[in-house]
Amino acid sequence: MKEIVKFAAILMLVAVIASGALAYVNKITLPRIIAQQDGELTNGLKSVLPGTENGVIEPVEIEGEIVYYKGFADKKKMQPVGFAMLAVNYGYSSDIRTLFGVDTSFVLLATNILSQNETPGLGTKCEEIKYGDSSSWWQEQFIGKFLNELKVDKDGGQIQSITGATITSRAITNSISQSLTWLKEEITENNQYINF
Amino acid sequence: MDFHTFLVIAVGAIFVSNFVLMRFLGLCPYIGVSKQLDSAVGMGMAVIFVMSMASVVTWTIYTYFLAPTPSNILFKLFMGSQGTPPDLTYLRTITFILVIATLVQLVEMIIQKVSPGLYRSLGIYLPLITTNCAVLGVSLLNIDSEYNFIQALVNGFTSGIGFTLALVLMAGLREKLELARLPKAMQGAPVAFIMAGCMSIAFLGFAGLKF
Amino acid sequence: MSLTKEFIKGIYRENPVLRLMLGLCPVLATSSSVSNAIGMSAATTFVLVCSNFVISLIRKGVPAKIRIPIFIIVIASFVTLVEMVMAGFFPALSKSLGNFISLIVVNCIILGRAEAFASKNTPISSIIDGLGMGAGFAFAMILIASVREILGAGTWLGFPLFGTDFEPIAIFVMSPGAFLTIGFLVAFLNWIEHRRSAS
Repeated sequence: MKEIVKFAAILMLVAVIASGALAYVNKITLPRIIAQQDGELTNGLKSVLPGTENGVIEPVEIEGEIVYYKGFADKKKMQPVGFAMLAVNYGYSSDIRTLFGVDTSFVLLATNILSQNETPGLGTKCEEIKYGDSSSWWQEQFIGKFLNELKVDKDGGQIQSITGATITSRAITNSISQSLTWLKEEITENNQYINF
Repeated sequence: MDFHTFLVIAVGAIFVSNFVLMRFLGLCPYIGVSKQLDSAVGMGMAVIFVMSMASVVTWTIYTYFLAPTPSNILFKLFMGSQGTPPDLTYLRTITFILVIATLVQLVEMIIQKVSPGLYRSLGIYLPLITTNCAVLGVSLLNIDSEYNFIQALVNGFTSGIGFTLALVLMAGLREKLELARLPKAMQGAPVAFIMAGCMSIAFLGFAGLKF
Repeated sequence: MSLTKEFIKGIYRENPVLRLMLGLCPVLATSSSVSNAIGMSAATTFVLVCSNFVISLIRKGVPAKIRIPIFIIVIASFVTLVEMVMAGFFPALSKSLGNFISLIVVNCIILGRAEAFASKNTPISSIIDGLGMGAGFAFAMILIASVREILGAGTWLGFPLFGTDFEPIAIFVMSPGAFLTIGFLVAFLNWIEHRRSAS
């Protein structure tokens, strides 16, 4: 019995030392991890709303949750650029989180895939940037598309799917199309862009 | 929980993202304990049992002790529900592995006392399970997928079934393979890997399955 | 055994992956690209060296009956450390390796070396042993990842190798490719060994 108490005390001590050390490291790394995630979203938003470099992007909340973003070209919020929203859909092997931006008449400005874990060499081509280019060749085709064109070619739309990764292409395209449909309804119903 | 969610989780865990063939978890016992059908079945049963138990226990510990939610017990106990709940999620790896190791020991002792017959058939596999990454893997997966209690239990149980399915299929093939003439260099592990590759190709067919 | 020999044995003769068949899960799961393989090997080697060192330092104070739980706590602490540092400084890598960083804790190589080597040897030779085993793990991982990335995507470390006309064999970057690659690799090493012992 005495032995058990001794062993328990030793294990307790080791566990306390270990968690203490981890708490210390966590304190150092946590601000960086949070900054990383915030930076990812801020940069993503700027990239899908071109023209807001000198302006502001403000989140719009519905019932306490951020649903979409409004972008302005100036700090005084006089010149609206458009809206941005995060679309999430399950692709072939992972959740794909795509940020997209539209102008005030709901024509796509740009897209940016924040995270995906699809098949390397196939599905991951949705993010591939060719040597010397500055943006993804696959996502470039979304620029200037209208809502009714947002379908992959196999479904009769205007988006060419990636060879060998139709499921991934379709998941991204459909998620943008669904989110955009919702956004359009939400904004036109509430007459948001009149008092923009 | 409705039947549809149950079906999606179950089919996902058994076929679409089979633990061994698609997620690559629990490979050591898959190659090591798949030489005979009997031992494969024994190991499979032990894994199903431990994975279900581990899912339930780790989910409870994560939700009520580590996660920064108002229902965190430590938060209620030491801070009187005042201020922001502490975020202890960084301790999850260390907590989970200790819980699983303790759980396996506990299960072993209980089975030994309660049912010596069951202990004789499962007992030797239990210590091997502590370092089986499938158990820790399913615990982490439950947290990442934000499952609730019952979904976590279903996921743990069906993932165990998926593991057993792959293990038993493999053992059946390897027993037949004993009689086959193989080049010396291919005998043992190499041919097991290549067969696993072929089975994995077959399981690829389940990808994209939707309800 | 001299320190150099201690280091060399991990790379080929006692290679943890290709000869001892340990730690297979991370090898197969994270070898779909060379950059993932390098990240995973670096993380594993770090944990292996640190835990070997600490366990060797405390080996005389640890009661034999509770040594395994103590080893596990030490290993899990270093794994969590790697997890946090990676999420803070290498977010892309941390995302693509996912849960396999946490799963380093159940990598049989690490507990195996703690039990078989570090708990019986001096801190210095334990560090060397950790480095050797880590190098062996990295060697196997990068070898498998190179085969898979070159055949399956036509690139190496992200650089295209064959121009635009090359049609990659996609199955190699998917899960079956991992099994096929390691199967043929181990068979090849066996064949070399058989020939050597025959002559």
